[in-house]
Amino acid sequence: MAWDLALWILSFLAVAAALGIIVYQLLCLSDLEFDFINPFDSSSRINRFVLPEFAIQGVLSAIYLIFGYWLMFLLNAPLLYYNIRLYMSKRHLVDVTEIFNQLEPEKKIRFYKLGFYLSLLCIVIYR
Amino acid sequence: MSRSSDVGARSPPLPFNPYQQQQQRYPPMAPPAADFPPPQFFARPPLSNPPLDPTPPPPPPQQLYSRPPSSMLSTPPPPIPSKAPPFASPPPFAAPHQFQGLQGPPPSHPPPPPPQAPYFGGSPAYQQQQQQPLPPPSQGYFAGIAPPLPGVAAPPGHDIADEFESLSISSAPGTAADVKVEALPRPPPDSCDTFAQPAWSNCHPRYFELTTNAIPASHSLAARWHLPLGAVIHPLAEAPPEEQVPVVDFGTSGIVRCRRCRTYINPYDKFTDGGKYFRCAICNLLNDVPMDYVCALDEQGKRRDAMDRPELSQGSVDFVAPMEYMVRPPMPPVYFFLIDVSVAAVRSGILQIAADTIKSCLDKLPGYPRTQIGFLTFDSTLHFYSLKSSLTQPQMVVLAQVDDPFLPMPDDLLVNLSESRLVVEALLDSLPSIFANNENVESALGPALEATTSIMSEIGGKLLIFQSTLPSLGVGRLKLRGQEAHVYQTDREPALRVAEDSFYKQMAAKCSKLQIGVNVYAFSEKYTDVASLGTLAKYTGGQVCYYPGFHAAVDGEKLTYDLSRDLTRETAWEAVMRIRCGKGIKYSVFHGHFMLRSSDLLALPAVDCDKAFSVQFALEDTLLTSQLAYFQVALLYTSSSGERRIRVHTAAVPIVQELSVMYKEANIGAVVGVLSRLAVEKSLNDKLENARQYVHVKMVNALREYKNMYAVKHSLIGRIIFPESLKLLPLYVLALSKSLPLRGGFMDATPDERSAAGYQMMTMSRPSLLKLLYPALIRLDEYLLQVMSCVDWIAKNETIVYAQGSRGGGVDSPPQLPLTAEVLDPRGAFVTSDGQRFVLWLGNVLQPEFVAAILGPQVAHSSDLRKVPVVEQDNDLSKRFHALLAKLRKQNRWCHQQCVVVRQGESGRELQLVHSNMVEDRGAGFPSYMEWMVQIHRQVQQKI
Repeated sequence: MAWDLALWILSFLAVAAALGIIVYQLLCLSDLEFDFINPFDSSSRINRFVLPEFAIQGVLSAIYLIFGYWLMFLLNAPLLYYNIRLYMSKRHLVDVTEIFNQLEPEKKIRFYKLGFYLSLLCIVIYR
Repeated sequence: MSRSSDVGARSPPLPFNPYQQQQQRYPPMAPPAADFPPPQFFARPPLSNPPLDPTPPPPPPQQLYSRPPSSMLSTPPPPIPSKAPPFASPPPFAAPHQFQGLQGPPPSHPPPPPPQAPYFGGSPAYQQQQQQPLPPPSQGYFAGIAPPLPGVAAPPGHDIADEFESLSISSAPGTAADVKVEALPRPPPDSCDTFAQPAWSNCHPRYFELTTNAIPASHSLAARWHLPLGAVIHPLAEAPPEEQVPVVDFGTSGIVRCRRCRTYINPYDKFTDGGKYFRCAICNLLNDVPMDYVCALDEQGKRRDAMDRPELSQGSVDFVAPMEYMVRPPMPPVYFFLIDVSVAAVRSGILQIAADTIKSCLDKLPGYPRTQIGFLTFDSTLHFYSLKSSLTQPQMVVLAQVDDPFLPMPDDLLVNLSESRLVVEALLDSLPSIFANNENVESALGPALEATTSIMSEIGGKLLIFQSTLPSLGVGRLKLRGQEAHVYQTDREPALRVAEDSFYKQMAAKCSKLQIGVNVYAFSEKYTDVASLGTLAKYTGGQVCYYPGFHAAVDGEKLTYDLSRDLTRETAWEAVMRIRCGKGIKYSVFHGHFMLRSSDLLALPAVDCDKAFSVQFALEDTLLTSQLAYFQVALLYTSSSGERRIRVHTAAVPIVQELSVMYKEANIGAVVGVLSRLAVEKSLNDKLENARQYVHVKMVNALREYKNMYAVKHSLIGRIIFPESLKLLPLYVLALSKSLPLRGGFMDATPDERSAAGYQMMTMSRPSLLKLLYPALIRLDEYLLQVMSCVDWIAKNETIVYAQGSRGGGVDSPPQLPLTAEVLDPRGAFVTSDGQRFVLWLGNVLQPEFVAAILGPQVAHSSDLRKVPVVEQDNDLSKRFHALLAKLRKQNRWCHQQCVVVRQGESGRELQLVHSNMVEDRGAGFPSYMEWMVQIHRQVQQKI
């Protein structure tokens, strides 16, 4: 049981961290949109946290898989697949030269991720 | 004073209402067009291309007439029910009786139409016809058009005559069309260089040209326009000396601008309350006028000093910017040369020519005495040059460690030219000899770029890269790609046209941040990955020049010209550009070479007179209620003399409720300018086929929309109709689909050629783009042999060119032929001019004497014409030929037109040089012009 509790606490922290990253990236994007920061700063700030977010999500999925929480793993699998695909095709970082053209899609993706992590957080808390 | 009357006072009243009333006075069916009073409100010339030549254009070809001669009326086209509704939507701007109709085979009994010449005159028979008296020019642009005699019943369909052109084409698939190929619309000679006169106080269209001079009032209307709603912007376009942009200095008091939207003062700002306030044209905010700028108003509400102040009377001004427009002192012009000295560059002679050219340009570099200069050469190592003024010889430091480049000496790599002049000259003299025996094949471009950016990081400036091989060492090394045919037509295809390594994009962003503008000169015969290299230019406002298979004897002249033009033309440094639009209109996308610094601010580290951009506008949801829409382009830059300036172009355009007006006011040059940029951009992330399709669909939708406006009402089934303003759209779209960046597939062009042409197309101004899409074809032998003494000719020609300034067109322009291989007579010699090069095509049975006279006796019988330099021979014929070339070159100075010779039957080269230009012939998977029209017609007819 103690294992279990530790695991849930760990996944709570991880999801909270991922949520924080996504919110921060969204803030950077909207700051850029309203001209509060320049594209160079904005993209470097966003890119700094792209890989940590991927790593957190990957580790979380791996833990679920190892400890046999199949349902949780299945929930995480689509995003994991998406992240891996992005990383493999080297499209995971924001392109500073085209950031204004990518603004809308990038924001959209991050809103979806935000929703996903929020629901994950709910599940983790009320479990 | 109300707003609307205010508008009326300063600009011609909007034409809608007067015209509508006018229209109603006449019976709807047969208004004698000739009686239409010329619209009083018409401040500018009729909207079709004004005739350029003093002589009226040749009469339209056979079967090309607008109003049929009255005698033809006995065989009227299918009647319209007499209850046909009167015209619901009269075109406010219509210059009456400007139309061109084209019907099927003319009835047999009427007298033949007036003598007309197919094409633009050309082969002897046609020229003879052309000498017949031309109809007086008063009959409108399309001469040979007689309005029907009063009293004679106008033919049915007459009242739509003002609206459009029509072309009757058999719609049954597979049947030959009954329209002569000659009758299809083609651009008149010199039309590329001609701009409409600016209306009111607008800036000249060479700076800012909208795709349609009528902004739709609502979203739904804009959606029915189908073509891009946008503009081509060429902020620093070269103007003839008498039309230079005036410089305005407000001194220390600062430039008068709107408080809210920061629009610069312009002729459309309205002064009120005795001149104490002005209302901003863009955002409609009432602003205070600064105390020392107040001036009394006259009875029409205009400032009394408006005429003395360029900013209140002209659309284009240069403001001198005070201190608050600077974040640092204005930078000096900086030129940095990054030269590849690997074996390919040395052997082909690039190094020699580049060094010689730079040396000859040292005196002409702008910004003396502040200009700074620096050099870095590289192969597998980096070579730094200390140019300290106290030295007599430059000091060279070789850095072999390219993985982590550092600067061996922090100073003296970038020096003031006037101080270190002697050292710089010594370096340029010795450069070719230092590397004369270099056998190194590697090229460490990435590390060299990193070193260069750290040298230039303090100031910024212009970086010229001379690259002769594929970068092969250190960061940014590239691999061979695009060699497999099977990649085409797959999802991996567009990747060939964008940077392979993210290093280049990051480097471009870094350069833009450091105010470095990059120009790339690429030379290799083999793959150099221009797509990746060009990325550097794309985001820094630069350009890409590509010389495949550079050979010093043949291409040297072109490189010399292009490089000296690059070094000596007026350049704007550390510039930013912003476009402000009136209420309800918003910029949506920009195209061109720049980097967006914020959502509407274009960062241009170095921009010059050869760079054009395009922008698309979107309407916001609200209905536009005002009568005029305003646009203001502002370019904040540092001039070479070290002055901070703002170039402002302002334009006002009527807002309209009618779709027909939008089409009538369409501007083919700008439409093509935006469409081609859209297509090239589309090809970067989609297959070529989809990029072509994208433009095609837009065109078909537009023509269908136009057809639906009229055809049903007037039973014009079986005809393709299109507005006079867009009659060349199908031709240009066809030419665009066959142009180098978009043509065919794997076999039709190398990836490098495609990318280089694509980069070039993104920065081209409208005249050079139109010339590239539809090159001029001239029959040379006939033209040269015209009886005229050479001396006279040259003397006359020079005065003409002189008098006409940069336009250069003229009385002596040789007739242009349609671009089809059918006109290539084996007995003749032809020249095509696409603004990039001349191709001299020699027929098989052309007299050898002619060839010998033009190219020199040794060439006449030689079979390999690949490396024949075209130099002036000592005879009249050759002198005339070169005078002609010089004249054509004068028309576009942005790049040197190299003359290439090709003989009929030279299999590969002829296809590549000549037949790829013959846009009216079948080729690259696209049909001939005639078939194209039939195809479009069929698509337009289809119901969606």
